[in-house]
Amino acid sequence: MTDEHEHIIDVTETDEIQVPDGARGGDLAVTGNRSIAAVPSAAPTYILLPIIFLAVTLLGGMRLGAVDNSFIFLKPALICLVFAAVTLVLFFRSGLISVEGWLSETNPPLRNAANAAVLLTMFAATVQLFNALLPEQGLPFWIVGFCFFWTLWNNLFAEFDSKRLLRSLGALFGLAFVVKYLVLANLTAPTGASWLQRMIENPGREAFTWLLDLPRYSPGTGYIQFFTLALYLIGLYLTPTTTKK
Amino acid sequence: MKERYIPILTVIIAIAGFSFITFLYWTEPRTFSEVSSKGQVVLGTYDIDRTAFDEGLANFRRDEFPAARAAFDRADPQKRDAITQFYTAYSYYRQGWGRVSNDDAMFRAGVEAVDRVIAIEPNFRIADETLQMKTPYEVKAELEEGLKLTLSDFNPMRLTRERK
Repeated sequence: MTDEHEHIIDVTETDEIQVPDGARGGDLAVTGNRSIAAVPSAAPTYILLPIIFLAVTLLGGMRLGAVDNSFIFLKPALICLVFAAVTLVLFFRSGLISVEGWLSETNPPLRNAANAAVLLTMFAATVQLFNALLPEQGLPFWIVGFCFFWTLWNNLFAEFDSKRLLRSLGALFGLAFVVKYLVLANLTAPTGASWLQRMIENPGREAFTWLLDLPRYSPGTGYIQFFTLALYLIGLYLTPTTTKK
Repeated sequence: MKERYIPILTVIIAIAGFSFITFLYWTEPRTFSEVSSKGQVVLGTYDIDRTAFDEGLANFRRDEFPAARAAFDRADPQKRDAITQFYTAYSYYRQGWGRVSNDDAMFRAGVEAVDRVIAIEPNFRIADETLQMKTPYEVKAELEEGLKLTLSDFNPMRLTRERK
């Protein structure tokens, strides 16, 4: 256990928490179904977090063209906004983020504005993460989209804490990444000279590409989206429950 | 840094970040150089590459139209300059023009280019005395006429007409 983790607070007996100096934002003390964040230091919460979430927002819709590796910026589908809104509701319900701890009338207006800006970047990053993980079109879009919807809808009515929510979301996003960037990407036929030549060289993959309406992207896209997913999860880990001192 | 400045910095980071991301997703640049040129368009500092334009004009006057268009594309990558787009449209017309029949693909590309000129500057008029057609509307009418198949196309007197 690192020194930082020794600062984690056990809250079994008390509701009033005295947080030790130097505790890092995002450290969670979990007892039973309760989780309390340590006092966040300002720099990670107000500087690092928006930068991380903005980076996820930028990269989430980015693909690389199969022919010339040119940038392709895909705007998120409407369903991504719905999924992101449900995910944020889950963050609030599970206690991963306390609404009172972030937006409160007792806070100075400037701090409320900064907190709202961080939460806005988090929402945008979540939208773009779904944009990154949902297949773009065709049957895979509807199947993966339905799986997302089913999981989020069930979670909405389940009783769980922030740790379980993070595990559930980590598993969901990880599986979606594997489906899109490993399974479906390997079923997509590479770009070739002509349709006939592609059919002769890769008949199975060409058939899957046509049947599942799979877009052709450069392999670099998967690396970018892996980095995006990792960055988003780091951002969530660094997000404190409350910004109040 | 004083702690009271940190929330201000957060808001500035968020606004700047969202502005940049919106710009990228709105303009959809395909390369890093396009990010720069599209940025210049948004900021109003966009200007064509004069050297490439002069090279394109020289090629145009030598009837080397593909080379001319390549130079015009380099000069005006964002297709925002009326003069460059006018010469591009004119090059499509001259290359596609035929005494017996016209090249429809060239003429269609010409119509697209001339539409860009009209969109950029509706009252555009070229000052080049070597060109017979001075306005984008004249070029567009000529291109559209060339795309149509009419009875006049079978008039043998058409063989005596000249390229403009």
